Amino acid sequence: MPRPVDPITRSVVEHRLSSIVTEMGEAMLRTSYSQILNSSRDFSIGITDVEGRLVAQADHIPVHVGALPWATRAVEERFRDVVPGDVFLMNDPYHGGSHLPDLTAFVPVFDGEARLFWTIVRAHQSDIGGSTYGAYNPDARDIWTEGLRVPPVRLAEAGRLREDLIDLLALNTRNGRDFRGDLAAMVGAATLGERRMRKLFAEFGGLVVVQAVDGLFDAAEQRARAIVSTWADGVYEGEAFLDDDGHGREDIRIHARVTVAGSDVEVDLSASDPQSTSFVNSSHANMQSACAMAFAYLLDPDVPKNAGAFRPLTVKAREGTIVWSEPGRPVTMCTSHPSDEIVEAIVKALSQACPERAMAGWGRRFRIAIQGEDPRTGRGFIWHMFHARPGGGASSGGDGWSSAGEWHTVGGLKFGSVEFAEVRFPLHFRRHEFLPDSGGDGQFRGGLGAALDLVVETAAPALANTAGDGIRYGAPGMQGGRDAAPHAYRLLSEGCAPRVLKTKETGIPVRPGDVFEVRSGGGGGWGPPEARDPAARERDRAEGLVSGRGEG
Amino acid sequence: MTQFRIGIDVGGTFTDLVAIDRDGATVFAKSPSTPADPSLGVLAGLEELAGRLGLGLRALLAGTERIVHGTTVATNALLERKGARVALLTTEGHRDVLEMREGLKDDRYDLRSPPPAPLVPRALRIGVRERLRADGSVAIPLDDASLDAAVARVRESGATSVAVCYLHAYRNPAHEIATVERLARDLPEVSVSRSSDVLPQIKEYERVSTTVVNAYVGPAVQRYLARLEHRLREGGLSGSLFIILSHGGMAPVEEAGRLAAATVLSGPAGGVAGARLCAAMLGIPDLIPFDVGGTSTDISLIVDGQAALSGARGLAGERIALRSLDIASVAAGGGSLASFADGRFQVGPESAGAVPGPACYGGGGTRPAVTDANLLLGYLDPATFLGGRKRLDQAAAEAAVDALAPRLGLSRDETALGIHRLINLRMADGIRLMTLRRGVDPRRFALLSFGGAAGLHAVAVARELEIPRVVVPTVASVLSAWGMLASDLRYEVSRTHVGESAAVDDEGLRAIFSDLEARAGARLREWTDAPPRIERSAEMRYGEQVFEIDVPLDDLAWDAPDLVARVHERFHARHEELFTYASRDQEVVFVNARVAAVGAVPAASLRPAEIPAAAPSPGERRIFLDGWRTVPVHRVEALVPGTTVAGPALFEAETTTVLAGEGDVVTVNRYGWLDIALRPGEGARGET
Repeated sequence: MPRPVDPITRSVVEHRLSSIVTEMGEAMLRTSYSQILNSSRDFSIGITDVEGRLVAQADHIPVHVGALPWATRAVEERFRDVVPGDVFLMNDPYHGGSHLPDLTAFVPVFDGEARLFWTIVRAHQSDIGGSTYGAYNPDARDIWTEGLRVPPVRLAEAGRLREDLIDLLALNTRNGRDFRGDLAAMVGAATLGERRMRKLFAEFGGLVVVQAVDGLFDAAEQRARAIVSTWADGVYEGEAFLDDDGHGREDIRIHARVTVAGSDVEVDLSASDPQSTSFVNSSHANMQSACAMAFAYLLDPDVPKNAGAFRPLTVKAREGTIVWSEPGRPVTMCTSHPSDEIVEAIVKALSQACPERAMAGWGRRFRIAIQGEDPRTGRGFIWHMFHARPGGGASSGGDGWSSAGEWHTVGGLKFGSVEFAEVRFPLHFRRHEFLPDSGGDGQFRGGLGAALDLVVETAAPALANTAGDGIRYGAPGMQGGRDAAPHAYRLLSEGCAPRVLKTKETGIPVRPGDVFEVRSGGGGGWGPPEARDPAARERDRAEGLVSGRGEG
Repeated sequence: MTQFRIGIDVGGTFTDLVAIDRDGATVFAKSPSTPADPSLGVLAGLEELAGRLGLGLRALLAGTERIVHGTTVATNALLERKGARVALLTTEGHRDVLEMREGLKDDRYDLRSPPPAPLVPRALRIGVRERLRADGSVAIPLDDASLDAAVARVRESGATSVAVCYLHAYRNPAHEIATVERLARDLPEVSVSRSSDVLPQIKEYERVSTTVVNAYVGPAVQRYLARLEHRLREGGLSGSLFIILSHGGMAPVEEAGRLAAATVLSGPAGGVAGARLCAAMLGIPDLIPFDVGGTSTDISLIVDGQAALSGARGLAGERIALRSLDIASVAAGGGSLASFADGRFQVGPESAGAVPGPACYGGGGTRPAVTDANLLLGYLDPATFLGGRKRLDQAAAEAAVDALAPRLGLSRDETALGIHRLINLRMADGIRLMTLRRGVDPRRFALLSFGGAAGLHAVAVARELEIPRVVVPTVASVLSAWGMLASDLRYEVSRTHVGESAAVDDEGLRAIFSDLEARAGARLREWTDAPPRIERSAEMRYGEQVFEIDVPLDDLAWDAPDLVARVHERFHARHEELFTYASRDQEVVFVNARVAAVGAVPAASLRPAEIPAAAPSPGERRIFLDGWRTVPVHRVEALVPGTTVAGPALFEAETTTVLAGEGDVVTVNRYGWLDIALRPGEGARGET
């Protein structure tokens, strides 16, 4: 019988694990090639045990947190003959993945003969094949159109990379060289983590580390349960809506029935609407992850995000619904939508159990991409809009963050410099400022969205695509706070009536001199507006955040 | 007769002063800081220093050729939010750049903390009708009526300092200059910071934030420096007064007032300069300066004898994109508190601070801090702490640790050892990120331990990271002031030239740099007779990337016929060094050209240690490592250079104590410093 691991050894192991994932993340950030990885940091790092329980993760993209365990289990089920030096790869949403762009690499960690952990790197690829660049395709009606499907495969056998397999993958993406660079970075970071884990075993012994990890799970569970047990027992309901699926269906409902009993929480999404023909479906792993994300937001920020913290949470859902589609359906949008709506429905439901913790709604994602030719260089360009970030929701802690993003990014996504964009692209940012009145009113006001007037200064016509949601439903208020304004994007073209942009369009013609008039939504308000401190209201007016019109 | 050079470092608690004479003889003084007007503490310290030299203050100042000063006035104004009331004039339609923070927010899982207040509230961010294009041409001329209205609003607002930042002003400053002239005419009493002067480079968030910080701290820095200079001149100083800047170089008072945002790291910059000097004296090119104080540990990096610079720093949540020494601060120090809650044992980031301080300080603290643990482990001597000036309360430390131990199910000793080990891990984490972020392997470095609390942790932290060598200089506790005397005069200029570097020809590139060199050189010649040394670098990246890397262009054949190709190759090689790969077939984008003119001053030399007449035999003490054991306790000043001591052992100096472990070998070098070779081994198993 080994001696139980004392709290100090446990803490030492916890710090080491956290420095290992941080180090893996730094390595990934510095070595990856694509802008989406090295600037927008759209990747995540995790360590799981062989049961797929999340041991440690680096705080990058919240929507990845709860998804890695499902991916790990898929690898475990497929491969029974794992040996040291193996590397595995997968992305398929119907084999434990979230959506096709999120390619995930796994390296097994052995202590002698015993396989104990996985070090994992998940990274959003700038392209993954399929019929459109960058995977977001509103026209997709099945998953094959969306890109290359990778079930769990063995990328390296006992330390030898399968170059033939890498050739196959790279050939099926539009920028094979970048793809190879990013893949090398992923495998490198995961292998670095594996080495650091083995060093940890050398120091303490694998068994002690496993026991310490069990202790960490228990400690995180204890903290999570202590918090949940302060929530009022009961059965609560919440719902949120997608505007549409781009294929003619509107008001797609995500429904959460949440039961709080003692220190346990059960989320049941079964009553959500049926699946769609378009990419707004969620994969199973992504749905699980969205639920974990909502739960994590309602705990304290410093509760370790490991498997233990999520033990109080049980998730139920029905295959064939919008939150868990049947094999073959397209799902690329799911990490933003319906993830944001799943989070929202759960937070709304639980706002009745823990009103002080439940924050008002954050914004939704509405992308624009413009493709054309730069008259200054004669070269083609593709520009993705990350500007005009929507607002964050208010909470019992105070007003929301302006221009800070959506439920699934919460201030983790950086938009680039306007000056730089004007140098590099034939674009002119006439205005890029907070949008007054866009935040929901309340005792605490929602963060503001932004107003962007973007002039397209090409010499020849260009094309634009959109992908997103949130032009009909703004971020909801909480505890009596008002809803925020939804997104409103228009394309202004001289001599034509303004064109209201839908959230899922391809091939929008853009003429030289056209203006994208982007008005992004704010965050929801928290608490009744009449409870707002008059001084705060006066400040809002003086600062021009609220126009003073239409208040009541 | 001018013979002294004096370094002055004003810290939170003490003002440290160091004087070096022509022969390299060094005298130290310490004097309490006077935060309300730090120049009073400086003068008191000079008085003390003069006394130690057997001189009067006037005689000392009259005999001083140069004073180098590190100030925390800007740092404190920013940290305590006590800067000027600032208005921002900016391009109409873009007045929220400062508060948008590029869309970023810290801490992904904290959705209930409200956003921080920006340094300039929105009502004072005033849009002015004007617009430049990316090529610097005018899209909308500066509108007089709009400027009138803006100036009127500044006047009404009571702002005492104005930041002016227009889009693309790095390319064409005309609108900003016209605006500043207008402000100078209509509001002569208001301090003005212009973005094309403070940071003439692309990326509006960095430029506006840096300019706003400059406007925010500028008036306080200018006032303080004017007062200090006045007092020193009155006291008889005829030599020069230089201020150390965040990039580690120094500049005259007037320049520090103009570029006040460049003084926010003026204090710790001295420590890095000192570390650089140590590197040169010891012949160790790669050092990790490790400075542990009461609440935080400052970590930086000396590579090839040079301090690492970064353009990506900030302070107190504000972005300051001026080049600055790369100093990471970890919230871990002697005052870090241990806690056990919800099944989790933690040490720091919470700190006992100066008040109440660790329990053993007897200031009413009841929770165990790192210093309490160190005391109970026997590492600190309650009677000789701070040279006996502070008596430590053993019983209070015991009570604090005893309150925690039973909850952990551990003994008092094991608990204290756990606290000590965990804080070492947090400090090691700071070093790991600091080195790893640069793709640097810490194992090829030596750790330079300074600051009062570093000595008890440095060896264990080094062991954790497999760093083979630790050096503890005798000047450890005043290293910053001492290091300032080794700073060079430095003036930096930069210019943005965004474009594919293939589109710049050799002549064009030479022209960009020679313009910068002429400007930097001219400025430096106003400060010193020493011939300027020119350092060139460029910020470059691959076409699709967003982060530039800084590419040093020194030692490049500047008149070579294939200059651009050589610059490209430098970039590829640097990229490979940092990130393990280069993409030689990719488009290379050139963003900023940088030139620094450096006026080198002869380094201060130190005389080897006086050899003690006879080394007294060491004392001993029982300390807790794996278990209780008796180890020798050496007085550092009593050790003869060349002496070798095998660990475990303790070394006590007036302001610091050093712990060496089993198998470590401590050698006293010719300056009387401790040079510790760690025992080769597998890692930290079983160590403290």
